[in-house]
Amino acid sequence: MEQPHEVRFKGLGVSEGIVIGQVLRMHDGTRHVYHWRINIADLEAERRRFRAAVQLARQQVVAIKKQAEKRMGKDHAYIFDAHVLLLEDEKLTGDIERQITDEQANAEWAVEVVGDRLLSLYSEIKDEYLRERGSDIEDVMQRLLVALSGVQPRRRSLSEDAVIVSQDLLPSAVAELDLEHARALATDTGGWTSHTAILARGIGIPAVVGLRDLYRRTRTGDRIIVDSTRNEVILHPAPATLERYQAETASRMKPRSSGAVRESGPVRTVDGVEVRMRANVEVPAEFEGVEKFGAQGVGLYRSEFLLARRGVAVSEQEQQLAYEEVARVAGEDGVIIRLFDLGGENLREQFQEPEKNPALGLRAIRFGLRNEEVMRTQVRAILTAAENAKLKIVLPMVADVSDVRRAKTIITDEGNKLTEAGRGFGEVSIGAMIEVPSAVFMADNIARIVDFFELGTNDLVQYTLAVDRGNDEVADWFRTLHPAVLHSIDRSLKSAANAGIPAIVCGEMASTPAYAVLLIGLGATDLSMTPSAIPRVRRALAGIDSRDARVIAQDCLSCETADDVESIVRERFGKLWPDLFPPKNLPERRQTNSKTE
Amino acid sequence: MVERTLLVTARLGLHARAAAKVVRVAQGFISRMELRRVDNEVTADAKSILSVLMLAASRGTELHVIVEGIDEEAALSAIDRLFADGFGEREQESPG
Repeated sequence: MEQPHEVRFKGLGVSEGIVIGQVLRMHDGTRHVYHWRINIADLEAERRRFRAAVQLARQQVVAIKKQAEKRMGKDHAYIFDAHVLLLEDEKLTGDIERQITDEQANAEWAVEVVGDRLLSLYSEIKDEYLRERGSDIEDVMQRLLVALSGVQPRRRSLSEDAVIVSQDLLPSAVAELDLEHARALATDTGGWTSHTAILARGIGIPAVVGLRDLYRRTRTGDRIIVDSTRNEVILHPAPATLERYQAETASRMKPRSSGAVRESGPVRTVDGVEVRMRANVEVPAEFEGVEKFGAQGVGLYRSEFLLARRGVAVSEQEQQLAYEEVARVAGEDGVIIRLFDLGGENLREQFQEPEKNPALGLRAIRFGLRNEEVMRTQVRAILTAAENAKLKIVLPMVADVSDVRRAKTIITDEGNKLTEAGRGFGEVSIGAMIEVPSAVFMADNIARIVDFFELGTNDLVQYTLAVDRGNDEVADWFRTLHPAVLHSIDRSLKSAANAGIPAIVCGEMASTPAYAVLLIGLGATDLSMTPSAIPRVRRALAGIDSRDARVIAQDCLSCETADDVESIVRERFGKLWPDLFPPKNLPERRQTNSKTE
Repeated sequence: MVERTLLVTARLGLHARAAAKVVRVAQGFISRMELRRVDNEVTADAKSILSVLMLAASRGTELHVIVEGIDEEAALSAIDRLFADGFGEREQESPG
């Protein structure tokens, strides 16, 4: 056997740490089948797509059958003949095509519906052995779904040292992951604010993203090292490399475990400014981090996760239970629930056809206002849960006061209906996410009609700079420290202060110590971040004087470019707080936008 | 049209692998072939595996076979042989 050579893949470390483990390849989202409507004009194309998938699946089974004949003998291989015959069976394919036509459904959905129908017939069979043969049908259906999506099947259970390697992880796929056991994540696409990154930081496992073709070049079970501090992943590490890493991880373990100081409550800067530290959460796996890292409640609950997990609309009662659960975790400090931020990179497919430009499309509050029933159901669930829990609502991606007014009308209306129905509920205060430029410009007006602001810095960067945060090609233009972004934050914070309402800064910016210091310099006193980031941000803020931060922030506001801001941060932070900000904790000096290898 | 009643004698019944054999035999003839359960009238097109599987014929099930077409006699005797042979699943070598 030939030993494979060590290969290094450069990416972007988005969640700290080093892990030595075994590859577990995972496909994104094959298990969830979404339903969307096909235009009548496109039905023939959809049926053709289905037939092509049938052909592909059939070819695969024929190949498997040939292999099996060689290894196990003709008679055993006959089982695959049954699969071939199923794929050739016009009763089956005809049923599915009819489903596509009659229901104007996408092929995946039609396969799922017809497959389920067959399986339910099969499950009624009295003979146990025959009943179990339903798995042949299931196998064929799975193969068809896989052929339709162009990916590979099946999910295996995680080994102790599983490193999930994937092209990209959809929320639904991540939701199904046994996160207790995943040791690290490595994905081909994504950036600092991709879903994978946010989740990895939330759970506190290392992650490197943007590894391009790693997925294609791995096999499950391959040995792999994920080194987020060096922004790389090492596949098939050579014995010497492995040894070095084993020594390094062993020495890292110690200071970490002993140095973990448990603190909670607000952090105080050297000059006595209190800064509130809240947690951003999404999946239940992150909940324990709220208490563990001493967060003062949940500053951002990304509720759309509830939809991602189910693949279908989640009921009012299920939602209510979920909100009560997160409220229990947050305790006295309460939870700010962001209404479904659907659209864009989230799961829009289940409701409608893909948009050409989803980031600028029907998403977030727009989606809710257009699909009022979805929004009303969520609002009812929140109001009902608020009877015994401290909950607030924040409206995602409002453009101006009209979005806020419309949403508030719906919320009031649902409250009135609950009163009429004699159902108990609680009052909730309502805030606005400030994350698009129009909201920044209109912040004074918005501030007058909401109870609080929440600054979503991820989206604010994306929309202010017109840079897609998931697109590697423009990663050089995604500059969190761009003066335009800082001005937007400055302006929004001032509007909130003038109106006398609180403003919480909740993007990924808050979870990076150097950026958090700048936010304090701009006047922020309320941050919400991924729970595992709280200790390091707390440490940084406790060591600085907010007056120094203010001076630096003012200088940054007068910069021309992101490079200028970064060099101010590098120099001044390094000089004022050398212990807190050694060079590796500060933004790196960039070359230019033109890449040289 | 010719017809005959056959008995499923194979231990595991008309499961996927056996059904595949039935379908392959049936597809080798031009005639239409229908299988009907004697006990509950559920019928199947012998050329469709899905249909044959849905018969859920376990061991001991009686199936009425109806064949119609120009090669009906040959088709009936071929299917008869397959059933008699227990779908070729016995321990001994299946006949070439």
